[in-house]
Amino acid sequence: MLRWSLARFRRVVLIAAALIPAIQPTAAADDEMTQAIAALKAVTKEGKGNEDAGPAWKTLVSRGGAALFPTLEAFDDANPTATNWLRTAVDAIAEKELAAGRKLPTDKLEAFAKNTKFAPSARRTAYELLVAQDATAKDRLLPGFLNDKSRELRRDAIARELDILEKTTRPTIKADLEKLFIYTRDKDQVDLLAKKVAENGGSVSVSEHFGFVTHAALIAPFDSTGGKGYGIAYPPESAKDSTGSFKGKMAEVKWGMFSTADKYGKFDLNKLLGKHKDAVAYALAVIVADKEMPCEIRVTSITSVKILLNGKELFGRDEYHHGAPFDAHIGKGTLKKGENVIVLKVCQNNQTDSWAQDWFFQMRICDDTGGPLPLKQKITADGKLIPLGAITETTEKKEDKK
Amino acid sequence: MNRMLLAASCTLALALALPATGGEWPQFRGPNATGVSPETNLPTEWSKDKGIKWKAPLPARGVSCPVVVGDHVYITCSSGTRDDRLHVLCFDANTGKQLWHRQLKATGGTACHPKTCMAAPTPVADETGVYALFATGDLAAFDSDGTLRWYRSLVGDYPTITNQVGMAASPVLVKDKLIVPMDNAGESFLAAVDTKYGKNVWKAERPRDINWVTPIVRTVGDATEVLFDGPSGLTAYDANSGEKRWTSKLAHGSIPTGVLNGDTLYAPVGGVTAFKLSAKGLEETPVMKAKDVQPGMPSPLVYLGKVYATNGNGIVSCADAKTGKLLYKERVKGAYSASPIAADGKVYFLNETGLCTVIDGKADTFEVLATNNLGEETLATPAIANARIYIRTDKAIYAIGK
Repeated sequence: MLRWSLARFRRVVLIAAALIPAIQPTAAADDEMTQAIAALKAVTKEGKGNEDAGPAWKTLVSRGGAALFPTLEAFDDANPTATNWLRTAVDAIAEKELAAGRKLPTDKLEAFAKNTKFAPSARRTAYELLVAQDATAKDRLLPGFLNDKSRELRRDAIARELDILEKTTRPTIKADLEKLFIYTRDKDQVDLLAKKVAENGGSVSVSEHFGFVTHAALIAPFDSTGGKGYGIAYPPESAKDSTGSFKGKMAEVKWGMFSTADKYGKFDLNKLLGKHKDAVAYALAVIVADKEMPCEIRVTSITSVKILLNGKELFGRDEYHHGAPFDAHIGKGTLKKGENVIVLKVCQNNQTDSWAQDWFFQMRICDDTGGPLPLKQKITADGKLIPLGAITETTEKKEDKK
Repeated sequence: MNRMLLAASCTLALALALPATGGEWPQFRGPNATGVSPETNLPTEWSKDKGIKWKAPLPARGVSCPVVVGDHVYITCSSGTRDDRLHVLCFDANTGKQLWHRQLKATGGTACHPKTCMAAPTPVADETGVYALFATGDLAAFDSDGTLRWYRSLVGDYPTITNQVGMAASPVLVKDKLIVPMDNAGESFLAAVDTKYGKNVWKAERPRDINWVTPIVRTVGDATEVLFDGPSGLTAYDANSGEKRWTSKLAHGSIPTGVLNGDTLYAPVGGVTAFKLSAKGLEETPVMKAKDVQPGMPSPLVYLGKVYATNGNGIVSCADAKTGKLLYKERVKGAYSASPIAADGKVYFLNETGLCTVIDGKADTFEVLATNNLGEETLATPAIANARIYIRTDKAIYAIGK
């Protein structure tokens, strides 16, 4: 038994010895690739890590097709700076492979694009590489991306589905459009689908879909002469509720209860509080969650803002009258179970130009795709709970009277 | 006498400082942002079907200008619903073949005026490669073969950077330093980063104010100065240390970039005003005032003894560069964002819809040599190199000439 084993052992050793030269370079190369990816992911602020990242990028690209998927997989936990190092490496690898007349592995690209455990941006990149080689992949894959974490994949999937719906006559069109509306995230697609639903006799709530705060307590004005108010934490900044009165810019001020019937949740502070200059206003909303959950608080405002959740500042931007792109200000935080107090600080400066008089905000609470969360808002006047984004009859009537 | 000697020595120093361009167009408005090229045999007439050496499609829009060094044409674009996909492309200058294409994901805000986009700053190139800055604060250096040399997320480094109108000032090169203008509503600075690794060599604090002016470089004695104009004045920085050398309130632009012509700075203030530049800065008394030469967004041009400007209303104005005497003021078709450029005795005015009016730069009267229409959106200033004019539209890049 022992003799047989020794003979066999010798054979195994001989075979292994013959194979080692063939295996070693691959193992070394894999190791090199792993180190290269690690070097790219190690870049941080102000160019720290760039000395190592440059040679690492070259190493990675020199591995050609073998490095494609490890590079895409590395997007997963990379910081935004590192992701761009990796993204350009994918471009270079793909370009090099195609220039050498080698096709990229479409089956693997398809599997990667469909695998939601990978980073959305990496999956989108894989999808684009795939579609560039196999245009039929669009129809195969997009139906599965309607509710995708990748904004771009989701958008393309919705556009394709809408195109199909519009080209066919079907009795279920209203329900189909309403279902498709649920998947929308980009404002233009939300508006388009809402319009299509309405044209087909249906109804959807844009403000609830976006999760706009439609009821809030407001208080103003606090002094912001010379723009200093942005940096001063007036008492409402740490408010836990809408009670109390405080020293304002000119007199004692207290919270007032307001609501909006605007489907985009717009609170026009000039109309609601008066045209104050060099002033700070605060809005307070109480949001109720049935469990702890991550959220994004997205704000649209043409003037400086700070977003605070349960007393913690999530975001601040000190800029006036340069535009008000939708969702430009995003604070990322976690809602606790039960009541959450969101305070929004909205400043106004003293510009006299006609185009620099707006003072407003829109604020919504959503998930990281921009989609709705199962939240309620407390109508601060009476403590009643309504779905986040709901436009109440009372609000609508008030707006009609205006 | 001393003053004359000083002026003469400055002129000599300036002449020595000018880079040997060899007909290249390495940055915004070509050699040191003058808009003037030494190229000859340039085309006068062309159309979509005539006089085009090559045309290459672009993946997306951009208002940045093409730059040309050697056989490479570099260009940037931005795309996506949120304009957050950033592209850097390189083409063969002689054939139009796309040599490489790299993509980055925006790490800064993408809000801007609808007329502009994230591909607004013009890249700068040298014989080793290209340095591309985007309005998102993403900054990347690529070797001429597309190898990523380094990458920085300036908003990742300095999170308060913001300009919701959209940034557009372009970087420039001073030997082994890339000068990065970053005036905005948040943390503002002028920085020099080393071209090898992209790390800060110096970073000079600037007023928090939005500004679209591109820095100009000049040599005075042993020193190289970076002249950076802005709403609060013109400041000269030592290119090696970032130390402030002098400041003048006489020039105070925020959109067009002035022209350094020998020892005279033609600043876009009060129309166009010329100041002599000594080693200590701008001399108090202007040497020329052309109040009727009104630049809008486009920068002025100084060519063959005349100063030119155009604006959003399509008014072309021309004055004697020594006396400021208005020679003519004529209306040409359309609105203008691109700055006029000149070479080979001709001045080219490209409007926003692809119509280029070519005038005789030698004549003191308004002599139109040709009007050429590409019929596509053209907001970027064209480049002149290789006896061709390179025009980027929102869809393609054209090489015009032989």
